[in-house]
Amino acid sequence: VSTSRIVVIGGGVASAAAVAELRSEGYDGDLTLVSAEDAVPYERPPLSKEFLVGDPGDGAVKDPAWYQEQSVGLRLGLRATGLDLPGRTVTLSDGSVLGYDQLLLATGVRPRVLPGVEGDGVCYLRTIADATELRDRIHAAGHVAVLGGGFIGCEVAAAAIRLGKRATILEALPTLLYRALGPDLGDVMAGIHRSEGVDVRTGQQVTGVQSRAGGVTISTAGGAVDADVLVVGVGTVPNTELAEQAGLPAGNGIDVDEHFATAAPGVYAAGDVAAQRLPGRQSGVRVEHHDTATRHGRAAAHAMLGRREPFRDVHWFWSDQYDHTIQSAGLPDGSAELVIRGSLEQRSFSAFSLDGDRLRAVISLNRPADVLAARRLIARDHSVTAGQLRDESLPLKRLAAPAAAR
Amino acid sequence: METARWRDTINLDDLWEGDMIAVTVDGETVLLVNVDGTVRAYSNRCPHQASALDEGDLDGETLTCAKHLWEFNAVTGCGINPDDAQLKSFGCQVGDDGTIYVDIGR
Repeated sequence: VSTSRIVVIGGGVASAAAVAELRSEGYDGDLTLVSAEDAVPYERPPLSKEFLVGDPGDGAVKDPAWYQEQSVGLRLGLRATGLDLPGRTVTLSDGSVLGYDQLLLATGVRPRVLPGVEGDGVCYLRTIADATELRDRIHAAGHVAVLGGGFIGCEVAAAAIRLGKRATILEALPTLLYRALGPDLGDVMAGIHRSEGVDVRTGQQVTGVQSRAGGVTISTAGGAVDADVLVVGVGTVPNTELAEQAGLPAGNGIDVDEHFATAAPGVYAAGDVAAQRLPGRQSGVRVEHHDTATRHGRAAAHAMLGRREPFRDVHWFWSDQYDHTIQSAGLPDGSAELVIRGSLEQRSFSAFSLDGDRLRAVISLNRPADVLAARRLIARDHSVTAGQLRDESLPLKRLAAPAAAR
Repeated sequence: METARWRDTINLDDLWEGDMIAVTVDGETVLLVNVDGTVRAYSNRCPHQASALDEGDLDGETLTCAKHLWEFNAVTGCGINPDDAQLKSFGCQVGDDGTIYVDIGR
């Protein structure tokens, strides 16, 4: 009797998507999901947004009964502590050992912890447990301080404002969302946060954080900030330790090819932790966004089922802040020309990264239809000019139509 | 027994194949889609967060919500991504003169 065992390590949406796809594509062998968290995989995007405001749904991707119906073994609340590549076994934190024929590492990322920035009233946000504690603290707080003006920090500040709290964002870089959006678009977002009442302090180096009874004092060169709670969102660290200990190449994430294969036979990696080699890219592409993680999980499942489909899905993400939606498609290229359609002042625009006649990426504010059209365009063979992209009388949808229909 | 209450909306001439449009029926916003001549009617609100589906994209049989890229089969209303979602469907028929009739169930 030929048997097959697949083990999936990690409790995020990449894992959930992988096990669901394996079953829906007819894989009927052993299937086990291991997660360090106590809950079945759930949606993380709401945790920095509506979950904090007061909608406490657990957001399970599939409810626990689904795993039972589909004969997916759940090993929750357990870490994978050891990986034996030649022996094809994983050791868990309770000492149990799982054998596998194929293994998916979807161990995700964890918040980067600043040395000394810990203690009562200092919160990092990744898990539903983190979000539950943060929600309780924000609801009880008068003043919420955020260290780091990235997506997590901006979304938490927006949630605090929605709850009627004072909010302060401290960011070392010249503007908010600087790395993700660049200086000009970042300034638009800083303007939005300021007009919603957030005290936005950019270019602020934090020199000390003092946790005291009932609050936190953050010292900066520009003065001290007293807050009831401090949320730290200063990036993440990929959870590569298990892979590294086993000898798998993992610099900034676990190195995988276009089929999610690592250097070891039968071992794959997907989601936030995977650094994927893609055509035209010098280094592995590691993406920390929900849609990519889901698509990775599905595609890795296909790879484990023996399909040879290189990953070509267009990367996409969104962030909701107040009544505004930021969306992006594609992978921007530092050397590309930035072309603006719409108006930064009116907070309705799409910023396209144009590389010759090829659209590489778009970042848009409150223009979801532009992003959909651009996403279609990026996925297909196309040729486009800066003039066409700027011309609001020309529907982007028409550029994205198949050549025959043009 | 409940009988269907057909309300007339637009004419098929105004809904090309591969197109979709939102219409208001008794205060309810209804999405009409035309996939290869087959017309379907759904609530215009995405089951995820109630975003307007007509701001999305219809590509072949795939309807994509613009807000968070949830995808649906526009003929069956079944979710593609995620696959356990479902569009709220309304009765829909096309009269001899091309009028599209919708029954929103009230």
